[in-house]
Amino acid sequence: MAAIEGMAAIGAALAIGISAIATAYTQAKIGAAGVGALAEDDSLFGQVLILTVVPETMVIFGLVVALISAGFI
Amino acid sequence: MKPVEMTKLSVTGPKTNLQNVIDTLYRLEVMDLNEYEGDLETGDPFEEAEELSQTLVDLRSILSKLPETEEDDAGFNLNEIQDSIEDLDQKIDDLRARKNSLETQKQSVKQDIKFFRKLEGCGLRYKDLQESKNLKVFVGNLKTENFLENVDSDRFDVFEGSQASIVVYSRDADDEIESALQKWSREEYSVPELDVSGSINAVLNQLEDRKEEINSEQDSIEDQIQNLSDEWRKKLESAESFLTEKVEKAEAPINFATTDKTFIAQGWVPSDKYEQVEEALAEATEGKIHIQREDESEEESPPVKHDNPGFVQPFESLTDLVSIPRYNELDPSFVILLTFPLMFGFMIGDAGYGFTTLAVFYLGYRYIDGAKDIFKSLMYASVATIIFGLAFGDAFGYVIFGHHSELAAVTGIHLFEKIPILFHRAEHLGQVFQISAIFGLFHVNAGYLLGFYNELSNHGLVEALLEKGSWLMLEASALVFYLYGATYGAPLAMISVALLYKGEGVEGVVEIPSLLSNILSYLRIFGVSVAAVSLAAVVNALAEPLFAMGTATGFVAGIGLLVFGHTFNTFIKIMEGFLQGIRLHYVELFGKFYEGGGRRYVPFGTKIKNNI
Repeated sequence: MAAIEGMAAIGAALAIGISAIATAYTQAKIGAAGVGALAEDDSLFGQVLILTVVPETMVIFGLVVALISAGFI
Repeated sequence: MKPVEMTKLSVTGPKTNLQNVIDTLYRLEVMDLNEYEGDLETGDPFEEAEELSQTLVDLRSILSKLPETEEDDAGFNLNEIQDSIEDLDQKIDDLRARKNSLETQKQSVKQDIKFFRKLEGCGLRYKDLQESKNLKVFVGNLKTENFLENVDSDRFDVFEGSQASIVVYSRDADDEIESALQKWSREEYSVPELDVSGSINAVLNQLEDRKEEINSEQDSIEDQIQNLSDEWRKKLESAESFLTEKVEKAEAPINFATTDKTFIAQGWVPSDKYEQVEEALAEATEGKIHIQREDESEEESPPVKHDNPGFVQPFESLTDLVSIPRYNELDPSFVILLTFPLMFGFMIGDAGYGFTTLAVFYLGYRYIDGAKDIFKSLMYASVATIIFGLAFGDAFGYVIFGHHSELAAVTGIHLFEKIPILFHRAEHLGQVFQISAIFGLFHVNAGYLLGFYNELSNHGLVEALLEKGSWLMLEASALVFYLYGATYGAPLAMISVALLYKGEGVEGVVEIPSLLSNILSYLRIFGVSVAAVSLAAVVNALAEPLFAMGTATGFVAGIGLLVFGHTFNTFIKIMEGFLQGIRLHYVELFGKFYEGGGRRYVPFGTKIKNNI
């Protein structure tokens, strides 16, 4: 039983960890481009913010999967 | 909640009244001038425009170079300014150039001082460092012992300075000595060529004197610039705003249609100001012009001016950060007011951080001019944070109210235990989770309803039902599916997808999974909440052992750690609360109804603050 729980915990960690890395990777790229755009025209702040936060969906999905495999929901 | 209603008007009159009309409109500051696009010629700027704008450009350039002054406003004489502006500019540029060259000299003197400091105590004179016909000199960082051990020749002398060694050696033996130097030196310094003499200490004194001289010369230049500023800055500032007005007025006719003897000006005014404009213009021109309302044509979009009661206004800037609303859609500032502070407050949910963030936002509001409104709106969020903090019984991660109040345990006042709270977040994560999801459902649907209203008022009921109603129906069918099974749910879902396809085309159907991801996205509220509680608890747990030591040092260190930790947390929480909260509005909520892309209402005569 303990082994199964352990596997579930590892699964949860992988789910949130990998999706967080993926989000970070994409946000880094979008963020860098976004800062470049802002340097040209700072009225774009709102749009750049929106584009930067789009990949966060991934880590939220990761969070949901992690919560499910950890038995929280 | 909709932008201010605008009326288009046109003013027609003889050119003799052009100046009058322009002056009046400038003073009223209500009419957003339209650029004329048609067959008639557009007007020419007044003659003086070119000269004035040239002067204005010069003025602004000088103002940007002059420091602030505390002199009083003295009034100005435009002729005097125009006559002396060139000289003044030259004078300031000369002073600044001199200041820059002094700065370069000072840097090099500093470098030299640094060099000679390393040689202090070597007992040599400056001229001993110069190479001569027979002798060469090495100055650098040398492993002297290794060097001495490994050189056979004795045709050299080593002198030790405080941080550098000097090796004076004969040219006869330079090969051997140089290879040893190369091997055992870490760094070689080059001797600066200076017009100095005497011992190292004497050289240092001379250099220090030189530095002082440069410093005092720099100060005197600063004083001269400041004097110029005291004399001129206020005059130039008044002249600048006077000229700005002149130039704007002089260039206004570019927007007008003109014939030989007449002009037509068109523009938008808020509908409730129309009478005022009409009266003022008629009075200024003694009734010699014709003013009329124009019919709005479909493709023309009026400028947009937010129309919200005072307490909603700070949130307008959050809306404009994305895009200015279109003339015919709902202004979402009101919705941001309703839910953004709520989200922020729920996520942080700690009375202590409520007060610290409030302090930070207040300072921002006071001292950062460009973002006053945003900080004001964030202060609303801080108040919500305090309220939620009290409701959860949390302050800086400590439980203050409720049946196991730490505050009661410490102070011995049991009253704190009696104060009712909603629930402790740390112990009821499940509830936080559910609240987040339910809030998401509510927020996304509020977005669809607002979108429904927008479509209804712009394109009618059918479009509204197809484009937004279909989404609501799809959600309803999911509920039916869950409650009553596929028999009822599936057909209902198919109908809503069909409606959606008709309303928004394939793009709408492709977007269906995003409904789920949008609602799940609100789980970040849960995530940030948990992180907020834990971060505060971590700081407190770190400080705990320090307090437990029972010594005065421990106590001070503990307090220091708490102050540092909670200050750090305050900024983390501001960032998280603001970014996550506002993002849920921009992406998840606005995506359902907001188009944006309106044109901001900028009436003729608006004083644009120049950032000089």
